Amino acid sequence: MPLDNWLEQLRRGSLDLAILLSVSTGPRYGLAIIQHLEAFTDLVVTEGTIYPILGRLTREGLLEAKWVEGEAPHARKYYRLTHLGTKRLADMKAEWRAFSEKIGRLIHDSE
Amino acid sequence: MTLSDTGESRVNGYLFVLERSLGTFLPKDVRADAVREIESHLRDRIAAATPTPDERRALEKILDELGPPLRVAQAYSAERTIDEAVTTGRMVPMLRAIWHIALTTIGGFFTALGLFIGYTVGAAFLIVAALKPIFPNNVGFWFVNGIPTSIGVQFPVPPGTEMRGGYWVIPVALVCGLGILVGTHRGARRLLARWRTRREVAL
Repeated sequence: MPLDNWLEQLRRGSLDLAILLSVSTGPRYGLAIIQHLEAFTDLVVTEGTIYPILGRLTREGLLEAKWVEGEAPHARKYYRLTHLGTKRLADMKAEWRAFSEKIGRLIHDSE
Repeated sequence: MTLSDTGESRVNGYLFVLERSLGTFLPKDVRADAVREIESHLRDRIAAATPTPDERRALEKILDELGPPLRVAQAYSAERTIDEAVTTGRMVPMLRAIWHIALTTIGGFFTALGLFIGYTVGAAFLIVAALKPIFPNNVGFWFVNGIPTSIGVQFPVPPGTEMRGGYWVIPVALVCGLGILVGTHRGARRLLARWRTRREVAL
């Protein structure tokens, strides 16, 4: 598998976790989530494709969405973690840490 | 940056294409919400952009970063339709999802074609079972010169063709039809679940 494909799969696989982490400190609207991700990662390639993922996470009950009027000339849709989302995020973080630690050990062993 | 009328037209054109593209897959209220959210994103980006004499270039950069409307619509469709189909297994979301994968990749097209044939053959058997009591002489196994050629319904019966099969055709067609439909539907759901995992759509 070419490196680009592997990186693409890695990026897609970690996007859900990255989005949940972005809203873990408080509600954010779509563009603020994108800007947060862009500040820390290079996970966002096409901005518009983040919104369908936000929609899915909302349908799955991990996020709660609410339109907020009045803070800008146009309404903004804010996302916040639900109780289920908070629990899922904790599980995902634990899994991610355990996984990266294992791979790290493998890399260390091979060097 | 404040947009000129030309810039506003460009934004409205983008949103129009997006809405039309989403219309194939999403219910009206979901579509309207999605377009509203993308417009909100655009308005934020435009408001934050530094004013420039070359408005067109600045606006195209914002739209490029957001992604072509068809690509954004495709991502919405992939997330929404396939999720709904796999979760509920209901016929309409399933057909929407199959239609989506047929339009997404060549592999998806042939997968969808196979599923379409499965559903069609299953439905055909059920139609045979339903029509047999109404048209007993036109529904059954068809032979030409003693050689079986087809199963189904013939109106009118072609010369030289002989129909065989009594009312036992009904339970046989029912079992075959339901078996094929259930098998195809389960297979479709499993394939869509795999498709969802792979997230074929380019994000």
